[in-house]
Amino acid sequence: MNENPMLPYLGKLVEVRDLATEIKLFRVEMLNGGGEAFRTFQPGQFAFVSAFGLGEAPFGIANASGRGPSVDFAVARLGSVTTGLHELGEGDTVGVRGPLGNWFPMKQFKGKNLIVLGGGIGGAPLRPVIQHVLDHRADYGTLTILWAARHPSLLVFTDEYDEWRAAPDTDLHLTVDSPDEKWDHNVGLITQLLEKLSPSPENTVTITCGPPIMIHFVTKMLQEKMGFAPKTNYVTLEARMHCGMGKCGRCNLGEKLVCVNGPVFNMEEVGELLETFL
Amino acid sequence: MSKIKVDKKSWLISQSELETWLDGIADVRTLIAPRQVSGIMLYRPVAKSNEISWKGITTGSAYAVRPVLSVKEIFFPPTERLFTIQKTGQEIHLKETYPDWETVVFGVRPCDARGAKLLDSLFLDTNPVDSFYARRRGNTTLIGLACKELGPSCFCTSVGGSPNDAHDVDIMLYETNGGYLAEAVTEKGRFLIPGGEWKETTVSPQPSTQTGQFPVPDKGKWPEIFNDDYWVKISERCLSCRACAYVCPTCRCFAVRDEVLGPGQFERIRCWDACAGENYRRVAGGHKPRAEKGERLRNRFYCKFYYYPEQYGLGTASACTGCGRCIDVCPVGVDITEVLMDLEKPT
Repeated sequence: MNENPMLPYLGKLVEVRDLATEIKLFRVEMLNGGGEAFRTFQPGQFAFVSAFGLGEAPFGIANASGRGPSVDFAVARLGSVTTGLHELGEGDTVGVRGPLGNWFPMKQFKGKNLIVLGGGIGGAPLRPVIQHVLDHRADYGTLTILWAARHPSLLVFTDEYDEWRAAPDTDLHLTVDSPDEKWDHNVGLITQLLEKLSPSPENTVTITCGPPIMIHFVTKMLQEKMGFAPKTNYVTLEARMHCGMGKCGRCNLGEKLVCVNGPVFNMEEVGELLETFL
Repeated sequence: MSKIKVDKKSWLISQSELETWLDGIADVRTLIAPRQVSGIMLYRPVAKSNEISWKGITTGSAYAVRPVLSVKEIFFPPTERLFTIQKTGQEIHLKETYPDWETVVFGVRPCDARGAKLLDSLFLDTNPVDSFYARRRGNTTLIGLACKELGPSCFCTSVGGSPNDAHDVDIMLYETNGGYLAEAVTEKGRFLIPGGEWKETTVSPQPSTQTGQFPVPDKGKWPEIFNDDYWVKISERCLSCRACAYVCPTCRCFAVRDEVLGPGQFERIRCWDACAGENYRRVAGGHKPRAEKGERLRNRFYCKFYYYPEQYGLGTASACTGCGRCIDVCPVGVDITEVLMDLEKPT
């Protein structure tokens, strides 16, 4: 890390493409010291991306470390920093600060069945989990992916569904709240899809990311209707942190900081916090 | 509370010896001291000791007063540049800028010095080290001035402090009849003392006789009262103005943003922020945790007495130094001492 931990590494945008409506994928090739810092990172970690002149914001890293030397970020155009990023193209320079935070304990998950539940752009930090499992397929049991969005145009990584479906012991289930005329998958909330599938908690862990309300109802259903133990329900939480290193104080959930104690928590840990993430 | 070791060197000096010494320091370093600025007292650079607000800090009056803002702003300024950004076409050039001065702060109150010590546990003792804070802190020598008694809103003795606590300064001055007892607390402080010119003494400062005024809820109590509707009631009049956090010697929340300097030129800065702000915790999708004022005011109290001590290993100590500034500054009379006493009342 730099002596000044707030100083980002520079990175070149080597690929920018639309992922969904107002959501773009940014593939960054790190320059100088950044190459070493991002030589390895873990599924679930995050980094700050700078649109220089506008600021920086935290994003979950969207690819597995083993998939090439680049770092992927999925960015929805929402505020000034993300709007600034959306205006950049291939060859432009961004800043990247990280990798930061804890990660999904993929080693502990070995031999277990995994259920991955992603809502909207919440799927982005789960893509490294999926890629990691596909790249080490024999290490894990079944992989069940529940992928949801408000509308088909908001589903992310659609061009990778074939790869996911083709992997052994891997299922992909799609659902949207409001379908269009071409939609031939599930319609409804991710909880409705989950209830239909009604997975067994036996030797299984779940990994969820999405809007806070979705995380709340998904994990509640897993525990109350399907009998999952809270500590088998992993989630990754969002907070508008400004430093990512436990200094700026903005991301506390009770006595824990999302940036350094998270962003990955299991629901047993979340339940012990004084404050709710809702 | 003052545990002064007898092997520490002490001197008895007059007001004029003190002023001559400070003038000498100001000649070679930046001297910061309580000074009147547009009618309020602030820690600000002084060129000569006669610019110091002597009336404001020594006990000619009924009690000694402290500057409106704590010494926090010297180590952790309200706005600080982190680096500059030069944009040329697709290329970016970042340039680091660090503060580069040696500073002596005179007239530091024990509560403020302890505030700095508490911020050290976050900025220095927890990795990664905050390089900006570290440079400012490392290049600064603190000359403390003991308070003779507590001011109207002071309550340091209730939160483990003392009006003449010398633990967290480099040199401590105690007012005596017609002069000062000066004590070198650290090596850094000893280095500033003019050898031979001052009259050495074996007199030790008297420990303060002022003791705790009221009990502060202990750690175990805080989780129990988290969901109490007391927080809704007490916050009803809160304006979410954040003044309490800005004057606090230990509130340290900050925001990071880019500002335009000129064509293609920007700076990344960090600036003070506070958990009372309504949009403070808003996240990308528009979801706003801690939407209620009561939840935000509660967070401030929990940060001082539960979260911060837990996160940065303060043990049973709290992150409040009892300076009372938040009481003085609150436009609607939210009084931290009243809150602490209310929490101890049986419900």
